[in-house]
Amino acid sequence: MKPVNFDFARPSDLPAAIALASREDAIVKFIAGGQSLGPMLNLRLVQPNLLVDITGIAELKRVEETPDALELGSCITHADIEDGRVPDVTGGAMRAVAAGIAYRAVRNRGTIGGSLAHADPSADWLSALAALGAQAIVRGAHKERQIPVDTLMTGVFECSLESGELLSGVEIPRLSKSARWGYYKHCRKTGELAHAIAAFLHDPDRSVCRAVIGATGSKPIVLSDASVLIGKGPDHALDRAAIERAMTGHGMTDPIEQQIHFVCLRRAVQQAYRP
Amino acid sequence: MTVVSLALNGRHVSADVEPRTHLADFIRDTQNLTGTHLGCEHGVCGACTVLVDGVPVRSCITFAVTCAGASVTTIEGLDDDETGAELRAAFTREHALQCGYCTPGMLISARDVVLRAEAPDEHAIRVAMSGNLCRCTGYVGIVRAIQSVIADRRARGIAAVTGAGRTALGPAGAGHGAVVAASAVQLGSGKTLIAAQAAAPEELADWKPQASFEKSFVVSYPIEKVWNLFSDTAEVASCLPGASLTGDTGARNVTGKMRIKVGPIAADFHGSAVIDREPATKSGTIEGSGRDPRSSSATRGLIRYRLLPQGADATKVELDVGYRLTGPLAQFSRSDLVNDIAGRMIEAFVQNIEARLSGVATNTATELNAGNLIFSVLLARIRAGLRRLFGRENH
Repeated sequence: MKPVNFDFARPSDLPAAIALASREDAIVKFIAGGQSLGPMLNLRLVQPNLLVDITGIAELKRVEETPDALELGSCITHADIEDGRVPDVTGGAMRAVAAGIAYRAVRNRGTIGGSLAHADPSADWLSALAALGAQAIVRGAHKERQIPVDTLMTGVFECSLESGELLSGVEIPRLSKSARWGYYKHCRKTGELAHAIAAFLHDPDRSVCRAVIGATGSKPIVLSDASVLIGKGPDHALDRAAIERAMTGHGMTDPIEQQIHFVCLRRAVQQAYRP
Repeated sequence: MTVVSLALNGRHVSADVEPRTHLADFIRDTQNLTGTHLGCEHGVCGACTVLVDGVPVRSCITFAVTCAGASVTTIEGLDDDETGAELRAAFTREHALQCGYCTPGMLISARDVVLRAEAPDEHAIRVAMSGNLCRCTGYVGIVRAIQSVIADRRARGIAAVTGAGRTALGPAGAGHGAVVAASAVQLGSGKTLIAAQAAAPEELADWKPQASFEKSFVVSYPIEKVWNLFSDTAEVASCLPGASLTGDTGARNVTGKMRIKVGPIAADFHGSAVIDREPATKSGTIEGSGRDPRSSSATRGLIRYRLLPQGADATKVELDVGYRLTGPLAQFSRSDLVNDIAGRMIEAFVQNIEARLSGVATNTATELNAGNLIFSVLLARIRAGLRRLFGRENH
């Protein structure tokens, strides 16, 4: 269980890191906390020539709060969020999600940017940040661009980052006071990667009612107008047929998978409207 | 090799290690501190948990070089630690260990729970300790020991502290090390190694598939045209980005390779296949095997395909794929992920076939796709490659 013998670099700024990743003579991987990449390296599923440690780059630990949003550098850890070492603009939603990721020893090193860029369908931030309407900030050699997290992932382990681009941070919109949030994931063992995830945000003051079904084995299923799926009654009953159609449309056809994901969504919605 | 210096149990230590040396090996092999145990070595069992900058970290998935300049505390460093001493007494009293293999990691994690959790109930302690596996005790004694230490400390007026007092942002252990430049020498040698290992094709022998699945897709061209294309191995291969054939492409036995990249996983499968076609039923079989010299993983696969008319102008292609995988990559597999990858491959494949049939030159560049030849190789590799990891807990 030892990785291949890779080379290692720790640049101090973003341009240097991006220049290393643009090399064509080597397989180059960025590493932050390494809590997903580490096991894959140990199992030799990933065999890079060069590992670029980006945790020495001060910009990637930035925390910028504005009236409308919070920007976090990609090397902010789950534990940083869980413990409140960074501000919260989501009414506690992100702290709760962070506290449920894997185990404390993993959260002490695993990062928000690493989790997104790794694009494991079962990881928490992809679904949670998609539901929150966050933007991924991506830095390339010549320009910076933003990608909505709900379209960031293109498939298993693949996201729309191009070669030589680095996910430098995340911008999370500030929720209004009336926002309702629910997040539910199904794990058979505490801390394992989820078998099903559902995230739900209803922020009437900002006209947002979004649901995300994650851990689908592929991209998360984003229901950008979930209000049409939720009954107006006090029990907030879901339109099961419509949700199943959406699942089927995204390639989730197994009735057991549909059932598990539907129950997660129902629980997330119930959690959000809990008095 | 890289010289890594850090503070270990309050002592300055330094060793010349390879960048791939994880922190647990650094501690055990270069410093002879064998109290830190290695269990699963991929971040699941928690036996290797140590304190880095005062907080628990899995030392088997943390490279020593990424902790340069950090402060590391192992179980040996807790001899004079007040909480550590209280936990040791409580573990003894509650019979919280039997074989002791998990105990160093248990104590490190337990200490963190004691410091951070104000008044956890039994369930909360179990959740907080869920990243440390014990196969002897059934956890009852461990939970009781932690509960009793917490109760005792709170009774003495010692409150919990959020984050155990950590104030720095970013991964624990990071941010102390100096800039490290990549050395060009090693990069070159890595590449040479791959080229030198280019594998010989495997002989096909009797084998049984480990797993199988079915897929189908529709091509918007009449069945005769599609069949003509399927009858030409070289044409099919050219529709499969990443695939290339070597030697005689018209023969029943063909050799070739397939370049595959799925996220951080990249591989070159070298192999051979036997191709049989049945013009009467517009069907055929492809039986192949291949080996990825990097990972030393090998695979065998059998694809049965059948073309069916879909109206006058379209053709449905049905695939039945069985495969078997051995080697490091066989440790994984998760069918939902395979479906996603297979779906993406087929999408690109169909695009290329349709482009080829319309007379447009195909794009041959992208890596993710399936060779007719190596279709099963790729799928098998991915399927087998993903299951274990993603069935487990890594983030």
